[in-house]
Amino acid sequence: MELDEFRSALDAWLDAHAAELAPPFEGTGTLDEQMAQLAKVKGAAYDAGWTRWGWPERVGGLGGSPLLRGYLGEALTLRGLVDPGGYSMVEVLAPTMIDYARPELAAEMVPRLLRGEELWCQGFSEPGTGSNLAALACRAVRDGDAWRVTGQKVWTSFAQYAQRCVLLTRTGPPESAHRGITAMFVDMATPGITVRPLGTMHGGAEFCEVFFDDVSVPLDRTLGEEGQGWSVAMDLLPFERSTALWHRTAFLNRRLEQLLIDASSDSLSAAEIGDVFVQLFALRARSRGTQHRMAAGERLGPETSIDKILLATTEQALFDLVGAALAEDVALGDDTAAEQWRAQYLYSRAATIYGGSAEIQRNIVARRLLDLGAEA
Amino acid sequence: MDAGELELFRSALRQATTNHTGKALEDALDELGWRDALAADRQAAVSTLFELQGEANATSSALDVVMAGRPAVLPPLGSYDQPTVRGLGTYAFANSALDGVTVRPVDGIDPSLGLVEVTGRLPITDVSSWSDAVAAGQLALVHELIGASRAMLELARTHALERVQFDRPIASFQAVRHRLAECLVAIEAAGAAAEAAWEMETPLSAMAAKAVAGRSSRVVAKNCQQVLAGIGFTTEHPFHRYLRRVLVLDGLLGDTRTLTKRLGEELLRTRRLPPLQTL
Repeated sequence: MELDEFRSALDAWLDAHAAELAPPFEGTGTLDEQMAQLAKVKGAAYDAGWTRWGWPERVGGLGGSPLLRGYLGEALTLRGLVDPGGYSMVEVLAPTMIDYARPELAAEMVPRLLRGEELWCQGFSEPGTGSNLAALACRAVRDGDAWRVTGQKVWTSFAQYAQRCVLLTRTGPPESAHRGITAMFVDMATPGITVRPLGTMHGGAEFCEVFFDDVSVPLDRTLGEEGQGWSVAMDLLPFERSTALWHRTAFLNRRLEQLLIDASSDSLSAAEIGDVFVQLFALRARSRGTQHRMAAGERLGPETSIDKILLATTEQALFDLVGAALAEDVALGDDTAAEQWRAQYLYSRAATIYGGSAEIQRNIVARRLLDLGAEA
Repeated sequence: MDAGELELFRSALRQATTNHTGKALEDALDELGWRDALAADRQAAVSTLFELQGEANATSSALDVVMAGRPAVLPPLGSYDQPTVRGLGTYAFANSALDGVTVRPVDGIDPSLGLVEVTGRLPITDVSSWSDAVAAGQLALVHELIGASRAMLELARTHALERVQFDRPIASFQAVRHRLAECLVAIEAAGAAAEAAWEMETPLSAMAAKAVAGRSSRVVAKNCQQVLAGIGFTTEHPFHRYLRRVLVLDGLLGDTRTLTKRLGEELLRTRRLPPLQTL
C-alpha cells in the first residue's frame, strides 16, 4: 500500500463514516467520554484495516511504511475524532513491545492495543525521579520465576484505564544508575497495584500515581534482558518525538484554524498570528523530515530532541496567543468552546515540562548534538 | 545528483567559496560548472552554493542567476511586492550596461557584500515571472542565512570549548550550553522549512521559509555574540562579518517581520490555513 493510495482511500472511508465516528459529546468531554471515543474510533479503524497498516505482520499488522500510521493519526486528529495524547500512546508502546518483548508475547498483546480493546500506560517517572530517570528506585527482586515489585510511579498517563503497563524497575543495587534498570510488561489487574489519579490544573485527571506493593510479575514478561531497561527507555523516547509528535502537530494546526474562526478581527494582529503560523510551518516541516527518516529505516536518536523543543515552543506560542486573543473566554467563559480553549491553554503550560523538560532537551542537544563535553 | 556526485560538487564549491569572493568566485563557479548543475538539479545547486557562500562570508552575483538569469533588481528593505524602479542589486549591476539604469554603491552595515542602489528602467517587468523570481531568490537567501548561521554557531562553539574561566571551559556551564542549543534548534528549523519550500514550490512556502530563516539567524547572532563576549565584539574576530551579513540578507526580498505580517494578513483574510505540506 502506497501512501497516496492509503490517503485517498482512508479519506473516503472517514467521509463515509463521519457520523458514526464523530464524538457523541461537544468540546473536550469528560475523560471517560474521551476514552470511550478513543476505543470506538480505534476499533472501527482496526476492523476496517486502517490501523493495521504500517505495523509488521508478526504483531497482526499488514506491513507497509510507518508513514501510513503517521497519516492515519494525522487524519483522525485533523477531523477532531481523537485527542492525540491518548491515541499516540500506541506509537510509543507498540514499537517497544515489537523490539523487546518475547515474539509470542508481542504477537498476543500488540493487536489488543491496536484494536483499542486495551489501553496501556508507561511507568517511568517517580516522585524522586523526574528529569533524572537513571535514579529511579521502584524495586524489583527475583523470586523464582517471577519479579516482585515494590515502589511508586507518578505522571503515569491513563493508568486508571490501562490494562497493562510498560514499567521501569531497579533490579541492580541502588548505586547502579542506568546499568541496574530492567523493563517489564505488567498486568494492571495484578494484586498489589493501586492507582490514584491526580487532579491537574487543566481539568481531566489523566495523570496518575501508581503504587506497587509486592506485585508479582512473571519473569517471561521481562522486556529485553535484565539490566537492559535503560536501552528500552532510550529507544522508546525518540518514538515520543516522532509519530506521536507529528500527530500533535496536526492538532496544533487544527486549533490554529479554529482560533482564526473564533477570534474577532480586532483581537488578532497579523504579526502575531503570522508568527505562530511560521513556527508551525517549521515544526511541521521538521517533524515530517523525522517521519521520513524513520520510514527509511534510520534509527532515531538525540536529534529528535530538536523536534520536541520546537513542539513545546510552538504549542506555547499558539496558546499564548489564544490566552491573549480569547482572554475573556479563557478567563471567564463557561460555554463548551470556552472550556475547551481554557483546558488546552492550561495543558499547553506543561508542554515544556512533560516528556523530558525543555531544560533536559537542551542538555541533550548540547551534549549529544553539539558535542560540548561534560557539564560543570 | 547522487550522494557521491553531491559530495564532490560540495567539496569543489567549498574550495571556491573559501578561496574566492566576488568576480573571482563567479569565475570559479563558471569553471566548475555551477550553471550546468543549476539546470540539472536546481535544489542541490542552489542549496549547496548558498549555504557555503553564507558560511564563508563570500559574495557573488549568483542570486541574479537564480532569480532571473541576469542582473535583477531587489526591492529595498521591507518591500518585495513587485519590481520597483528603485531597489538594490548585486554589484553585477555596476558592470552591466543597461539603458537608462544608474547604479550607486551601497556600503551600509556590510560594505563587503557589494550591493548597489539601482535607479531606472527595469530588467524584469512581467509581474507573474517576478513572483516566481522572488520565491527563487528568497529560497537562495534562506540557504545563505543558514550557512552564515552555521558559521556563527561554529565560531561560538569553538570559543566556548577553548575559553577557560573558573578553571573550566565555559562550554561546561549550562547557561552557555543552552544558548548554543537554542542556536542549533533555530538552524535546524530553518533547514526543515527550506526543505518544505523546495518540496511545495509555492510562493507562500518560500515566504514562510524566508521568515523562519531570518528569525533563526537573528536568534543565532544574538546568542553567539553573547557566548563570544568580548572577543566577538572586536574586529579581530570574524563574528562581526556574519552579524553584518545576516542583517542585510534578512532584509533582501522581504525581512522576517514583513513576511510574517503578510502571512498573518492572508490568514486573517481567508480565516483558514493554506494547504499544508503533506506527509
